[in-house]
Amino acid sequence: MKCLLIASESAEVLFHWTDPEFQQNVQEQYGASQEEGQGLPAFEDSINTLFAPIIISCSTMVDRLGDSYACFTTENNHTYVLHQFDECLYIAVNGDGEEGEDDLRRKIYVMKKMIDVLFGMVTLSSNLLRKELRPQDTEQRAQLWKRLQSLLETYSRLRENDQSFLVEAVERLIHPTLCEQCIEFLERRLVQQLNSSAERAGEEVLHAFILVHTKLLAFYSSRNASTLTTSDLLALIIMAQNMYPSNIELDDPSPEDVESTSGSGPEIFYTPEPSPTDRDSSSSDRPGRGGTPVFEFVDPDIQMAEDSLQTLEVPPPDPSTPCRVFLEVSLKEGLYPMMPHSMYCLPLWPGITLVLLTKIPNSGVAMSVYLFLEAFAKLEKRLSEGQEGSAVTRGSPPIHDFRNKLDKFIKALGPSDIQSSQLQNVWTDFKNRAFARGRPGFNRELIPWCKSMKMQLCGVYRQCFLTDTSGPADVPQRLSPSLQDRAQAMVQEKLMDWKDFLLVKSKRNITMVSYLEDFPGLIHFICVDRSTGQMIAPSLNITERATSELGKGPLAHFIKSKVWGLVSTTRRYLQKGYSTVTLRDGDFYFCYFLWFENETGYKLEAADLPILSDDSAPIGMLAWDYYRKLLRYYCKNHQGEVVKCYELLTVHLGVIPTEYILQHCRQLASKLWEPSRNPLL
Amino acid sequence: VSAMAESVMAESRRCNYFFLYDGSKVKGEGDPTRDGICYFYPEETPIDKQELLCGQLAGVGRCVSELSSSPVRILRLRRSKFAVRMRDDFFWALGCSMDVPTVSVCELLDQLISLFCFYNGSVRQSYQLNSREALAARWAQYLAHLQTGSTELHHVFSCLRTIDPTNIDPLLLLKAALILQACQRCPLVLAGCILFRGRVVSTQMPPDLTVKVMVHESETYKDQRLNGLSSSGSSGSAVSSTTVFLTVSDLQCLQSCPVEREFRSHSTPNKDSCPKKTRLSRTLSDTPSSDYEPSEPDSSQSPFSAQKVSFNPLLSGSDNSACSPSLSQTAADPPDTPLHSLKDPFLNGKISHEVEEEALQESYYHSFHSNGGGSSQIHIEGDSSTLEEMSHVNGQEGDGATADRERPGARGATLFDYRGGEPGNGGSHEDNAGSVNTGDQRAERGGIPPCSSLFDNPAEGPLVPMTLYQHRVKGLVLALLVEPHFQDDTAAMEEVYHSSLASLNGLEAHLRTITPGAGGPQGPYIFAHFDCLQNTLTTNLSGRPGGAQERSFVRATSLLHSHFCNTETLQEAIIRNAGAAVYGTRNVAQETYFLQHGGNVRNSGIPNHQDSAFSLPSKARHRLLKHGVNLL
Repeated sequence: MKCLLIASESAEVLFHWTDPEFQQNVQEQYGASQEEGQGLPAFEDSINTLFAPIIISCSTMVDRLGDSYACFTTENNHTYVLHQFDECLYIAVNGDGEEGEDDLRRKIYVMKKMIDVLFGMVTLSSNLLRKELRPQDTEQRAQLWKRLQSLLETYSRLRENDQSFLVEAVERLIHPTLCEQCIEFLERRLVQQLNSSAERAGEEVLHAFILVHTKLLAFYSSRNASTLTTSDLLALIIMAQNMYPSNIELDDPSPEDVESTSGSGPEIFYTPEPSPTDRDSSSSDRPGRGGTPVFEFVDPDIQMAEDSLQTLEVPPPDPSTPCRVFLEVSLKEGLYPMMPHSMYCLPLWPGITLVLLTKIPNSGVAMSVYLFLEAFAKLEKRLSEGQEGSAVTRGSPPIHDFRNKLDKFIKALGPSDIQSSQLQNVWTDFKNRAFARGRPGFNRELIPWCKSMKMQLCGVYRQCFLTDTSGPADVPQRLSPSLQDRAQAMVQEKLMDWKDFLLVKSKRNITMVSYLEDFPGLIHFICVDRSTGQMIAPSLNITERATSELGKGPLAHFIKSKVWGLVSTTRRYLQKGYSTVTLRDGDFYFCYFLWFENETGYKLEAADLPILSDDSAPIGMLAWDYYRKLLRYYCKNHQGEVVKCYELLTVHLGVIPTEYILQHCRQLASKLWEPSRNPLL
Repeated sequence: VSAMAESVMAESRRCNYFFLYDGSKVKGEGDPTRDGICYFYPEETPIDKQELLCGQLAGVGRCVSELSSSPVRILRLRRSKFAVRMRDDFFWALGCSMDVPTVSVCELLDQLISLFCFYNGSVRQSYQLNSREALAARWAQYLAHLQTGSTELHHVFSCLRTIDPTNIDPLLLLKAALILQACQRCPLVLAGCILFRGRVVSTQMPPDLTVKVMVHESETYKDQRLNGLSSSGSSGSAVSSTTVFLTVSDLQCLQSCPVEREFRSHSTPNKDSCPKKTRLSRTLSDTPSSDYEPSEPDSSQSPFSAQKVSFNPLLSGSDNSACSPSLSQTAADPPDTPLHSLKDPFLNGKISHEVEEEALQESYYHSFHSNGGGSSQIHIEGDSSTLEEMSHVNGQEGDGATADRERPGARGATLFDYRGGEPGNGGSHEDNAGSVNTGDQRAERGGIPPCSSLFDNPAEGPLVPMTLYQHRVKGLVLALLVEPHFQDDTAAMEEVYHSSLASLNGLEAHLRTITPGAGGPQGPYIFAHFDCLQNTLTTNLSGRPGGAQERSFVRATSLLHSHFCNTETLQEAIIRNAGAAVYGTRNVAQETYFLQHGGNVRNSGIPNHQDSAFSLPSKARHRLLKHGVNLL
């Protein structure tokens, strides 16, 4: 029984997602008054009525006590987590014990992250965001909510099944030569060709990467692009997975499949060799291919159509229309969050996707808007702190510079559309109050004008970046469909011989078998480089039809649940400042280590880590980058040094003496991230 | 050298807010919230803030419990957390700061509610019979009692305050145990405990009952001091008794044969309310019991018999007895056991080894007889008399107990001084006949009452009125839970009084001379050892606000304790930050935490088997042996 709800302060539902169980529960509670088949609005009303008292009480508590609800737990272990972002209250509920409080909080933060990526700076104005999340038009609303719901479901699926989303770091396919070749191909051929084409309509490809399921085969960023943060990359992978889901988790072994695989058990323990010349034999390497569409498809397009029918009830109107995403950009002048990009997701084969991220022509506007917004926010803060007069306007940039810049900005926008003329009007008002002689000038009374300037700026931003593709008159801003087709074909051609290998490889990237000899008693490990946001772990293929090293069915599930539990446990200790944890739990011995190194691999001494409150943002990299903040915090005492942060989790059999376990950990820690960057295999 | 956690620390309150809100008083639109507020702590809180908290929390609680079809248990704000109980229309909430582990907050609230019920009976009925003001004083008193003198570690573990066993002659503990056993020879006596200056010397009751009994002790102690009784040098000793209410499971725990106790008291771990599911003794089975009341907050408690797992002198022999070996014996000679065991009731301090052995053995089957034997006879004689008896008791409770309540100053229904009683002049040998009589009487009347129909409030669980008898000798108190008609049975009362008086005097004289543990050298380590069965804590951590390492230790301990409570399979853990490493280990009976001072020179945090943090388990094993903690 699960639910996630976003509500405005006036208890209006801005978004909801429920699983069928919760929906049924709500409908039962709402009684027989609800008529069958009344669809979305009816359900929306009942969920609204049920949650309204909680939402209202929440704002009462904030107003009168300055404190608000963080979490409820009932005697039958239902958990409610509440979190307020600006004027939006997020409530996540779990009633089946599958998610703990931390999981729910993480889900809320991930939802917020996805909304940030999709709506950018519009989220900074509660007013506009409310309209954006809850379109007046019922059908439009249904469509948007369905999209968000499906994103949330995709995220939940990945978090429950994919180790890289468990620890929130990107997993690379370990095949250095192929990886290198692909990067070279992306750089020399693909990106170059796209960026020199006339059909790119002013867009410029900044990043290009190839995903095999959720794993990264190759990633290329053009020279003038800023780094794509791990948080954004993970969010983009969720979006790509949402558009073209890989069905790994969905296919259950049918009885025939089990039979057919019984003879080829041991084979699965070894990573298949690349077999570029003999495609047929490579697919026969993998047992149980009978029911896997991945290996049986004939025509990619047909397969694609089926996939999208299953999971995406509302397909995008035009497949060549890119997704508008708002990502962080770091330039020399500073950090710009939520800069508009276009994202092109080009399916190569089921499970393999090419993603292109482009810079759109007018993205400079976004930068200016951000700077103005920041300035008004600062001004508002100072005014509300009670500062007045020249004290408020001191600091950089000088207020008159700022005024000139904004004047120019508005002029450049042109008075043509309503939005910018509204901005013009409010700005004139503002100037009259703030700068004109004999006027009140800078004092508390200016706060409403600051607010309204911020809203107008967000409105301009919305106008420029959220509605341009739907404008009927304009030719949609994008790489032309034929250019997209060409890009797709180029990469398909390049990877044609590798595709089967890649699909298998992505499921057994590295396997425990390779480690058993050197590390007897080691059951599993995860190693994460937090400075680059990458992770390595042996595959845990619990849905695989064949036996894995962990055994079949229940045992593999059991170990998987232990690993998942371990990650959440160690996060709780990390939240409280503990960087080393060892646990003897049942028949297992778990270890967790977090440490810092400099560039040359020298181990830096441990520092006191910050102690966070129970309801602090979740520890991870997807929704809120804890590790980036941790590194910044640690670097204060290591100025001028490149600091790297690593994590290692291990699961051993409990009977192994602790001394050996620790030796194993040490060896893993030093070998996995050797300068060569090739993990031992 | 260990010292019991000395509670020198002044008022470290773990509770920020506590309130009881009666939703049935605020039904209509116009009803002001304040009508529903039965009690609010701190009492000086402005009424509009009281209304805000009660109204909002109770409202949200109801809304959430409707959505989930289950009452709310924990309600967390950003800066504080509340443990919640919702029963009928009542809404209790107890708010603590964020550092206190959630399990501990819930435990405290449950303790508080069950404490109230222990002295006042059903909450609904209490509020019908008494004024809010009178009951507010009670809540305040119980809350204060549960919080007094507690250190931060006590916030984590809800533990009993005991005397420092390392500081006194073990024979004194044995003597205390023997006094209790002697009292139990009177069939009307269910169980008892001996307290000295607010600390447990010996107890036959499960920890949660002992805690409840201690409230009355501290209260009468205060009263006495006010009246100047204890200040007089003479052998001032006073006896008092008061009505208390036991839950059926409490009662069964006290009345039934230890074997049955095992089954009943803990068969069904109360999943939602009791995080200590792991207190299983290896001798226990998981047979569910039909007597289990899911609604009763404190219905699950540690089993008596599991105390065997770690023998501790604080336990008296009768609890410790295994029932099975004595079963055959008692079956062979049940009728003459009381007489037999009364042969040498006093062992006044001169305990030879043989006497000790003999006494223990005797008490094993004696205690079986007086408890289990009694109840088994009831079944033979039929249930009708029992029913009659119970309805009588219930009727009596209406006036007797309320009259009692209206005099909060002098709570004892019968408070009288045996001034004439000289120490050592017990003369209980002559009372043998009386003892046998009462034994018969009890067999006719006593037993487990089928009292589920007695109270109209099934949600609170049926409560059975009993009597708490107290005999004070200066700082020493003998507290006994007795059958209600014990008070009317002068013979039995005198027998108990006289049989214990001399020993109590002697014990008091010995305990008085013992200076409280000075603490001694602290050693290069900190440890805390929690006995989950007896709810006792041993630590060398002083109550004074400590240095960084002490605080770090307490923080780690509270995290690990929560983790142990939530993860049944977890056996040991080492956690480390830059400054300190703490080792925690637990088994069914105990939790131990250990920190080595100065052992953690700067490290890089990278796995290293030579790291001192990983030698903590062996160090702890070695060091703690001399504190009587065996981790092997």
